[in-house]
Amino acid sequence: MAGVLRHLARQALLLALVALAVFLLMKASPVDPVDAYLGPAIAHVGPEQKAQIAAAWGLDRPTHEQFLAWAGHVLRGDLGQSTSYNAPVAQVMADRIKASLALTGLAWLLSGIFGFALGCWAAAQAGTWVDRTIRVYCYLLAATPTFWLALLLMMAFSVGLGWTPICCAGPIGVPPGQVSLWQKLHHLILPLVALTLFGVAQIALHTRVKLIEVLQSDYVLLARAQGATAWDIVIHHGIRNAALPALTVTMASVGEIFGGSILAEQVFAWPGLGRATVEAGMKGDLPLLLAIALLTTLIVSTGNRIADLLQARVDPRMGGA
Amino acid sequence: MKTLRRSFALLLLATGIAQADVPKLVLAIGGEPETGFDPLLGWGGYGNPLFQSTLLKRDVKLATQADLATDWQLSEDRRVWTITLRDGVSFSDGTPLTAHDVAFTFAKARESAGAVDLQVMSAVEAVDDRTVRITLDRPWITFVEAFFTLGIVPAQGYGPDYGRKPIGSGPFKLVSWAEGEQLIVAPNEHYYGTPSPFGQITFLFTGEDAGLAAAQAGAVQMVSVPAQMADAVPAGFRAVPVKTVDNRGLSLPFQPPHEVGGRVIGNAVTADPAIRQAINLGLDRDLVVDVALHGHGTPAYGPADGLPWSGRDDTVAYDLEAAQTVLDQAGWAAGSDGIRAKDGLRAAFPIHYPASDATRMALAETAAELLRPLGIDATPVGGSWDAIGRVMHSEPVVFGFGSHSPYQLYSLFAGRLGGAEYANPSHYANHKVDALFEQAQGAESLEASFPFWSEAAATYGLKGDNAWAWLVNLDHVYFVSDCLDLGQTQIEPHGHGWPITTTIADWRWTCP
Repeated sequence: MAGVLRHLARQALLLALVALAVFLLMKASPVDPVDAYLGPAIAHVGPEQKAQIAAAWGLDRPTHEQFLAWAGHVLRGDLGQSTSYNAPVAQVMADRIKASLALTGLAWLLSGIFGFALGCWAAAQAGTWVDRTIRVYCYLLAATPTFWLALLLMMAFSVGLGWTPICCAGPIGVPPGQVSLWQKLHHLILPLVALTLFGVAQIALHTRVKLIEVLQSDYVLLARAQGATAWDIVIHHGIRNAALPALTVTMASVGEIFGGSILAEQVFAWPGLGRATVEAGMKGDLPLLLAIALLTTLIVSTGNRIADLLQARVDPRMGGA
Repeated sequence: MKTLRRSFALLLLATGIAQADVPKLVLAIGGEPETGFDPLLGWGGYGNPLFQSTLLKRDVKLATQADLATDWQLSEDRRVWTITLRDGVSFSDGTPLTAHDVAFTFAKARESAGAVDLQVMSAVEAVDDRTVRITLDRPWITFVEAFFTLGIVPAQGYGPDYGRKPIGSGPFKLVSWAEGEQLIVAPNEHYYGTPSPFGQITFLFTGEDAGLAAAQAGAVQMVSVPAQMADAVPAGFRAVPVKTVDNRGLSLPFQPPHEVGGRVIGNAVTADPAIRQAINLGLDRDLVVDVALHGHGTPAYGPADGLPWSGRDDTVAYDLEAAQTVLDQAGWAAGSDGIRAKDGLRAAFPIHYPASDATRMALAETAAELLRPLGIDATPVGGSWDAIGRVMHSEPVVFGFGSHSPYQLYSLFAGRLGGAEYANPSHYANHKVDALFEQAQGAESLEASFPFWSEAAATYGLKGDNAWAWLVNLDHVYFVSDCLDLGQTQIEPHGHGWPITTTIADWRWTCP
């Protein structure tokens, strides 16, 4: 019980610190939210009107007052008003979170599974052409910008071959309410592939290194002396040991996949939180950016916590920790 | 009863068949308003507001035409507008549009935190159901811009979520808006004007790359393309270059350097009339268009080329020798490195441009290269808008403007706006210009103000102070399906994409 309380207190402190850091960074950034909001309209909007906008957003108050006012609202369950979308932050997030979860959640799951499988395969065949191919593939992907990969996939499969749609979460010219499940899946494929390819590399490389380490241990030598085949060893001794770092990396990669999704969503016009994040950052939309930052913090820290708990399960030696 | 039901079924069938013949259109021209389709926050500032209609509109030659208003009169003291509305107009939900809705729209826009600046308006009231009276603080003819751009919203039913559920008296109604993806609209059957021949129009809000990819895949009928890509026309499309006043030019700080509140204003080199004249004479604008814009533009001589309020003969022919003579006569002598100097002052300055804008970078580089033969040492410097904001009062910047309102001239050259944010960044001030602007703002109508604006060019322009060095007007290039006839297009303002929708009512589908 005390452990749970301590964990919750730590979680709350982490969220508060992240919020403060994001707030201060945005205040220090050169983006003037009113200028960014007006865009080209700045040419015909006078100083009086700009002051009126700043006052309506509370930007005319001292910085610490702005932060405390925001924190007070959040504690009462009100995430505030998004200035760039002119809608409540909760609504902006609710409208986008389903699309984001479908894309990032699936990409995360698939990259975990494929990454682990590829890592195991490469380690079992360490030094052979299989291992080399997988490694080169991983290095290549780890070095590839997601948006470029996404563009390449789109040029090949959407423009060249015409197998997948150009954009969006539904067909062009069809209202969202009339899109069938099959059409939704069809539109999900390409962004999902781009994001999964991006996530696989890290997990595969970590798994591979750990498994190779395991395969060189004394107990594996013993098993081998007893006549176990390579696959026997990988399955009975390797996977469980290699699963530890793979789990940790997979849980920690949530943040990275979310980051990658920001770029992939731009390319495929996928209506998730990623695009809202870019919009909020570019326009200095503090309430929205803070809410998204807190959500990501929550997901990543919870992911790490789950990884800790799972590790205790997977590895009895860590049970006492 | 049975017959009634039968005829109803027949009617349904008939509309079903009719709809199959009505073409649908998909456009990828950007322009998604993140805050929604709320005119009070700035929606409709450019192009067609789709869902709402405005008091006045501009035709393809930019001449004023009646829209919701049938009559508009300015009082003798130029402070009170009396506007008579068209009869029998209703919103897309069937409720009638009256003077109360117009008064509400203007009053609400005045106090809203949006991109509509109505600060000069002191009162607005509905005199009766069809008459609105608007009172201004002072004579201010450019207030009429709001008549062209401010879409009328219903007083009943306007609320915080209006931008996502717009109701208006415009040619279209909202079918669905998937934010960040697409907007689908259909003709508004209550619209008082000519109905659109298109049964449905979809606006894709993908990025530029995805828009082009969609055109190549045949999924869209029109896409806006940057000049750099304008030569790769997909099959079944044609490139339509639209003339614009979307200009780019160099600001030349007008005053000698001095400090105001810890900030340096003015520049010793560009404050010299001879330098400004020589830059304007000695820049080969045709070459700038070819090099920096790949030919997709026209030379610019003022901020409103081709519009009725620009200067009548405000142009100059490229003449390198004449430019050099001007500098020689003013005492700017070339040093050993070829750069001119006068009283120990080198003819050198940076040219700032926003680093994220490839076109402005190309313009800064090209201009700097073309100034070298004049003996002027210009150094292109890329930076953020914030960095530019700190130096724009004392050093040249590649700016871009372009508007359908003569207020553009006021914001660039009015002495009282010197240094107010991005208005008049070069701190230009000339009492002759200010006096003419005063007369223009006090004119009896927008059209009557044109000669005053136009006359000011003789002072701020190329035959006078050479206040700025305007370089180019960009062409806005669109790839348009061979089946889509756009009719005539307007000279477009700043902003590539949405402005093309201004004439959407004239678009026709020419294929079976």
